[in-house]
Amino acid sequence: MLITDPIPVSGWGRNFSSLSKRASISSIEQAQELLAQAKVARGLLPVGLHRSYGDSALNSGGTLIDLSALNGILIDPVAGTATVGAGTTIRELEQAALEHSLFPPVVPGTGFVSMGGAVAADIHGKSHHKTGSFSQCINWIKVLLASGQIVQLFPTDDEFWATVGGLGLTGIILELELNLREVISNSADVREVRVKDLSAMVELLRRSDADYEHTVAWIDLSGDYRGRGVVSLGNYGSQKVKVRSGGSSGPSLPSIGGANFITPLTVGAFNELWFRKPLKHGTVALNKYMHPLDGVNNWNRIYGDAGFLQYQFVIDEGGEEIFERLFAGLRSLKAASFLGVLKKFGAASPAPLSFPRPGWTLTLDYPTTVPGLEKFLQGFDEELVAAGGRIYLIKDSRISHSLVPLMYPEIEKWRSIRSTMDPAGLWQSDQARRLRLC
Amino acid sequence: MLNGFKNPGRVALIGGQSEIGLSIVTQLPEDKSREIILIGRTGKYALDVTDKQARERVIRELFDAGDVDLVVIAVGLLGNDSKLSTTENLLAAIDVNFLSTVHLLELISDRMKQQAHGTILVISSFAQVRPRDDNFRYGSTKAGLDFYARGLASTLKGSGVTLKILRPGFVKSKMTEGMEIAPFAITVQECGKYGVAALKSRDLVTWAPSILKYVALIFKSLPPSVFRKISHR
Repeated sequence: MLITDPIPVSGWGRNFSSLSKRASISSIEQAQELLAQAKVARGLLPVGLHRSYGDSALNSGGTLIDLSALNGILIDPVAGTATVGAGTTIRELEQAALEHSLFPPVVPGTGFVSMGGAVAADIHGKSHHKTGSFSQCINWIKVLLASGQIVQLFPTDDEFWATVGGLGLTGIILELELNLREVISNSADVREVRVKDLSAMVELLRRSDADYEHTVAWIDLSGDYRGRGVVSLGNYGSQKVKVRSGGSSGPSLPSIGGANFITPLTVGAFNELWFRKPLKHGTVALNKYMHPLDGVNNWNRIYGDAGFLQYQFVIDEGGEEIFERLFAGLRSLKAASFLGVLKKFGAASPAPLSFPRPGWTLTLDYPTTVPGLEKFLQGFDEELVAAGGRIYLIKDSRISHSLVPLMYPEIEKWRSIRSTMDPAGLWQSDQARRLRLC
Repeated sequence: MLNGFKNPGRVALIGGQSEIGLSIVTQLPEDKSREIILIGRTGKYALDVTDKQARERVIRELFDAGDVDLVVIAVGLLGNDSKLSTTENLLAAIDVNFLSTVHLLELISDRMKQQAHGTILVISSFAQVRPRDDNFRYGSTKAGLDFYARGLASTLKGSGVTLKILRPGFVKSKMTEGMEIAPFAITVQECGKYGVAALKSRDLVTWAPSILKYVALIFKSLPPSVFRKISHR
């Protein structure tokens, strides 16, 4: 087992980092060995591929447990299930499943998410209105508890739902079984529609949910902030397409010397081009359709050394008026978002800390250097909570700890289940400290 | 913990009544969720800084209750040397400004190294630049502290912990009421701004006001006879 000296680690937003040791585990026995030696002091935290944006996968002064070597995949084509290790990525699972004309029913915007991370954040994708979040397709998970005991948890167990969305704070997710869905080919039939403003976008998404398995919209939050954009609607396709096989998905963004290239001017120009681009209508490779973010590796470097933050929240259906106030505020700050995404969620999962629930979810990216942004978002958080909305913790690096129980009213239930799974408080993260989660 | 804008969430001010200290912690970028802990003669973390056991206990309790992102150390006995010319007053100033503060820095930096993050802001003084007849006693206590703090800052490299030094000149405050106002005097509010800037600065030392950096260079380079004349103004 390799354990490094303390090294700086940051989330995908690169807006801050913290020093921690990193233990690479290549077997379940090694994980148990690590636990036997562990001291509670600054604790342990299982981590995946660090695609969480803020401090969910950081543990300052403690140890991170890298599970990427636990990456086995066993597909049962008859049952239509996959048994996967915690370190297996969504991308690897998709490739293996497609060989049997199967596909994971819930995949996020990037394929570089580990199975452990997908459970710990209860991730969602463009199919949420039909399939719900990732936990909805899981049959069981195997978890290594702080005591060293390995337990198999089912959706009938409270501990299962505490681990789903539990941010790695209940134990090490070692393995899980999930249901796959049948697909005819490796493609999607996609239709894109340009819309002139937010109300047209909302209307089209509402109307399309019944007919399309996947719906999402790119929203332009620059210029006049009216929320024009492109709605993307898709279903699993029937036509086989050729895809590049192997490692990397695309070119890497080179290191650009710490400068931030995301300014109102560049975002305005990019968004104008993106809005005017030729619309897709037809067959697209599934992996390209599902993971548009993977087109350029390390795209997060474009924000330079100061990094960026992602703000994702959900608000009930009917509460859309809050968007107007948000857009007006962002416009006055001249805060232009390079990546705005709107999606309508379906049913919630029973996990106390799971983010998705019925309503609208909006995702925005901003460099941390926008003057006045910190104060504005603090004010908007309060408005959001007053309107019954909440923020996605796996994206967060900045909300006030006092708002967490208002956003996640079942957190007390989660805390009490968690404390039975980890009475001494071995599992720790910077986010848990900042938001006083445990 | 720091938030995503790199601003501190849990802050402690040692010298909870210090006007400069309060001015710094209240001018940090606004954040309603920030917890500011005032460590002074009264309150939850009451501390007599000259009591060694009390220092150990309070720092232990402070860090046991949660990670601390920023500690501002603003304890100090000020006085021109007519006040510090009695042995008793001089020893008290050495105790507070140097001995006790150095011990606090040892305790705090140890706990911050364990959490692998945190910032310490030490308030030094322009008075430590060069001994002047009218305040070398006070200046020497700050010179000792400043020297120690620079050494400690160097050893903290790579630990995740940073230490910054603020060197104010004459600050118009309750503590300096009745004293003759020196050139480049600033208000408490202004001094607080320099303190906040020190936290984000790449430099170990921040002068308040900035021009004192150059005044200090001149002071150091003057021949003793000229320096005496100037400092006797």
